[in-house]
Amino acid sequence: MTGVILSSLIFLLTLYLIFSEKLNRTIASIAGAVLMVGVGLIFGFYSESQALATVDFNTIGLLLGMMIIVSILEPTGFFQYLAVLVGKRSKGNPVLLLVLLGTITTVVSMFLDNVTTVVLIAPVTILICEIVGLNPQPYLMGEAILSDTGGVATLIGDPPNILIGSASGLSFVDFLTHSLPIVIVVWLVALLLLRILFRKDLAKTPTNLDALAELNPKNALNDRKTAIKVICVVGFAIVAFLLEEVLGIRPALVALGAAAITLVWVRPPIQETLKRIQWDVLLFFAALFVLIGGLQAAGVMQDLAGLIAQAKDLPPVLLGLILLWTVAILSAFIDNVPVTIALIPVIQGLGTAGIPVAPLWWALVFGAGFGGNGTIIGSTANIVVASLSEKTHMPITPKIWNKRGLPVMLATCFMASILYVVFFAFFN
Amino acid sequence: MVRNCMKRNVVSIQSTATIREAADKMVDRHVGFLPVLDHENKIIGMVGLPDLLTLELPAFFNLLEDLDFMSDFGAVETTRPAPAQVDALITSLMQPAITVFEDSGLLYAYGLMLKHNLSDIPVISENEHLVGMVSRVDIGTAILSSWKEIGTTNP
Repeated sequence: MTGVILSSLIFLLTLYLIFSEKLNRTIASIAGAVLMVGVGLIFGFYSESQALATVDFNTIGLLLGMMIIVSILEPTGFFQYLAVLVGKRSKGNPVLLLVLLGTITTVVSMFLDNVTTVVLIAPVTILICEIVGLNPQPYLMGEAILSDTGGVATLIGDPPNILIGSASGLSFVDFLTHSLPIVIVVWLVALLLLRILFRKDLAKTPTNLDALAELNPKNALNDRKTAIKVICVVGFAIVAFLLEEVLGIRPALVALGAAAITLVWVRPPIQETLKRIQWDVLLFFAALFVLIGGLQAAGVMQDLAGLIAQAKDLPPVLLGLILLWTVAILSAFIDNVPVTIALIPVIQGLGTAGIPVAPLWWALVFGAGFGGNGTIIGSTANIVVASLSEKTHMPITPKIWNKRGLPVMLATCFMASILYVVFFAFFN
Repeated sequence: MVRNCMKRNVVSIQSTATIREAADKMVDRHVGFLPVLDHENKIIGMVGLPDLLTLELPAFFNLLEDLDFMSDFGAVETTRPAPAQVDALITSLMQPAITVFEDSGLLYAYGLMLKHNLSDIPVISENEHLVGMVSRVDIGTAILSSWKEIGTTNP
């Protein structure tokens, strides 16, 4: 009982520090993890070896592998190239520009880190808007919202998906068959709604189309050879992800293998390449695993699942919808990674209590993925575009996000709920 | 010494002036640098053309490493700062003053300008009053003129 109380206190304290932003999330989680292990050792509910075993190296390896690949691709100018290319193709048509920029950001971020994608495409977006005299707000918000939405489609598109995939055993192919169709519909709903909500800005006539026509995408691509090499490896990696079950290998090995091949093939300056890896994110994940592991070892999760197991009598569809919306609302206000990591053992607990969990995993995927669109702080991509927009004449404020982003989040979650209910048998 | 090559007739601006007034002064007097003085004529800062022109630069300028893929700024070329921006006090754009004394050495003054990437530097007296100004060209040519004293290489 002491273990249950102490581990819960440590966990809640860490969560409080993370969500109140009193402490950087990585610092708070590392301190919390160490405290959990220390207290666990003293009171005998958690050991060092148990703590190490909780770190899901499949998740960390997959993230690290993909981060290495992106950090090699980043300096080649590939992302800028794509943005300049589609900007030019749009010929300054405001709606077409939104569709094209939204599409490339989504497609790229389905396979590569969406924060990096947005960080590199957003400045070019601002450039295109400024030279033709358009308001960059709809485009920046569109890129963040559409890339977050698109990321839900694949196993590697979004950190919560990587976590869920690893915990549930859902494969790359499972995501393509179950999540992708839903995402296509939901993504179109999001795009349509953005088009309607920003109709005034998108009705403006652009000026100085010559400046846009004279953009030369080739000059934005600094290192064509490396870019082609990286794209080739990513292509092979996707094939390997698809064959994951046939080959009997895990996604982490595919990602790390692809990273190793790229490193050997490109031989980039390794210090600089590794500097671009988001080590803080990897450590945050590892520390969260240790924290949640402490709760499990102390028996908190079993108690919690025991409580929720009373939900057994609820119809499974309703249970799924409750989970989807709870996660979506939580993810709109707080980081969806800790939400996902905390809910995974709960769902596993429900599974041991005899509740069918397959549809619950998908509810978690959709809730964590679409919920982040709701507020300006709901996802890292949102925070990134908002802070970049502060440098323009038309900054994206929380108020604007509530007026334009929140309706999109509600509509996408609503659409996802309908599809979830209609095709419930398919998710079971 | 700086005293020997400085210009004594310096165009300056009071700290109560607006950005618009500073711009007018630069245009009228065709200068790219203004020391900012307080009511006692003590130097409290300085503004150069780049400080004023930051108001003209588009947001993407600082967000992108290179602009090689574009050949024109388009609508940005004709976008002017908002009235409120140019009516703000000049002190809001001003840089801290980097100055030399009249009796400072030429090479020191040149080194200081190089480190702070300045093309002009105000010259002050012992009691911090502005007494003149020197440009990189003033100092550079003054230093180079001493090269006339260098003897020829012996074969």
